Amino acid sequence: MMHFLEPEIIAAVGVLATLVAAMLASSRSTVPYWFGLVFSAAALARASMLHLSTHLYGGAVLGDSYSIVVTVFTLLAVMAGLLLAWDPDKYGAEFPALLQLAGLGAMVMGFAGNLILLFLGLELLSLPLYVLAASRRTPLGGEAGLKYLLMGAFSSGILLFGAALLYGGTGSMTFVNFTAVHVVPGLMAAGLGFLLVGLLFKLAIVPFHMWVPDVYEGSPTPVAAFMAFGTKVGAAAALLRVLAFGFSLSAAWWGLMLGYLAVLTMIAGNMVALPQRDLKRLLAWSGVGNAGYVLVGIASHNLLGAQAALFYLLPYGLAILLAFTVVRVLEGREESPVTLASLKGLAYRQPWLAVGFLVAMLSLAGIPLTAGFIGKFYLVRGAIAADQWGVAVGLVVATIVGLAVYFRPVQQMFAPGDGASGRFTVGTGVVLAAAALGTLFIGIYPEPVLHAVIQSARFTWLH
Amino acid sequence: MIRAVPAGDVVALAAALFAVGAVGVLVRKNPLIMFMSAEMMWNAAALAFIGYAAEWHQMQGQLMAFLIIATAAAEVGIGLALIVWVYHKKLRLDVDDVSEMKG
Repeated sequence: MMHFLEPEIIAAVGVLATLVAAMLASSRSTVPYWFGLVFSAAALARASMLHLSTHLYGGAVLGDSYSIVVTVFTLLAVMAGLLLAWDPDKYGAEFPALLQLAGLGAMVMGFAGNLILLFLGLELLSLPLYVLAASRRTPLGGEAGLKYLLMGAFSSGILLFGAALLYGGTGSMTFVNFTAVHVVPGLMAAGLGFLLVGLLFKLAIVPFHMWVPDVYEGSPTPVAAFMAFGTKVGAAAALLRVLAFGFSLSAAWWGLMLGYLAVLTMIAGNMVALPQRDLKRLLAWSGVGNAGYVLVGIASHNLLGAQAALFYLLPYGLAILLAFTVVRVLEGREESPVTLASLKGLAYRQPWLAVGFLVAMLSLAGIPLTAGFIGKFYLVRGAIAADQWGVAVGLVVATIVGLAVYFRPVQQMFAPGDGASGRFTVGTGVVLAAAALGTLFIGIYPEPVLHAVIQSARFTWLH
Repeated sequence: MIRAVPAGDVVALAAALFAVGAVGVLVRKNPLIMFMSAEMMWNAAALAFIGYAAEWHQMQGQLMAFLIIATAAAEVGIGLALIVWVYHKKLRLDVDDVSEMKG
């Protein structure tokens, strides 16, 4: 009966094996990194072979294709993080185990069907990331870790109190049982509100986003890349699951609220990204704007929206990984800050790196023939099907602002001048090539990936 | 006959603790105190879970309280290490000092 959890079990065994390898091998050995990569790849291969829909422990653990998609996305983020950090001298022997542990947390959030597992998954995702965020031995690293820790503890507290109120209102921890009780009465509405605030903190939706730029700037680049993809996958997956399974009857109430937040997030995120000079901060604000796009799909509270939200995580994730890979190459071993000015003349110095960066920016801006365009197209379709015309218009306006945001770095890249240049490693080269080809492939021929993702978000409770 | 404390009273106390913790995080500047206030919010939630578990005659709420305590302990381990490390760098504890990144 447990075989649908095999990818997660492989990943969990991988964490333990990597820890033991880190203890036995010398601190400069790449053996733990290999362990992490091989176990993640094995879990990914196992996950892509699974086709089933079942649940365990009275709906606490939901093994459906939705959780498989979340697992696949998370493992992609973990493997990309490992490849970007392939430098034991610099990141230490514990790095792979911590990163895999955080990934395991995101997977738990994907299959969580009750509040207990949701909380445990969230903390399993967060605790290793506090350590990783602080792992740069500079004041900036300490600041990033401290801010992430305080914001994380605060938001988890809010989420927990919301969970307690929901438990009090229904006497059950399982999402599906919440449907029986109407949200309109005070207790359930307050519980749902607190729970949403806790999850929106993790997803970085606008009133709860202030930690993101500082944490991304201060964290090591591979960690920031994982946070931008993996953390958002976990938080968005759990958010969609809670709302679709537990609160589908009161969808009009939370759909409206999340719709306003989505518009605010998309426009504010892209507007503030516009004047940024530091590339990591620009990507952080772009990540805030993109979280707003994902929220559009969730807010449209219909099947099309849910599918679009789940699908959009992949184009966004690939593009942001690609952009962080370029930062990782350009910052070099000293981790010197990469500003827009250091992109000057990149197209002439390192054409392949420039091509990768161009693909990332085009996809984030939503230009046709890249994956980002397909993702945004389905999001708009979901919002229109929900009759949320304001949200659809907001998405288009935010995309237009986004064009300006992503045009500036590209313009710098082709401008004459002497900026930074860096050396490829095997790891960064693999991530760059895989993410760029993936982005173009999904953009040109989206059918297979789109079909797999859309099949998996068939929440029958949403119409 | 011994009468149990009504769940409403327990939850009211939990809500008060939660509010105090939330105000503490938002108002205080010392990261140690902010962290402690956040832990207080967690404990308030644990208390509310226990109160509701008694009301519904169920074990799940109590189970959750134990899990919250265990997770909070893990978080304190990481959090205190981090705060002490930042303190060693700065020799002063004030979140307004720990802000070199702007924009």
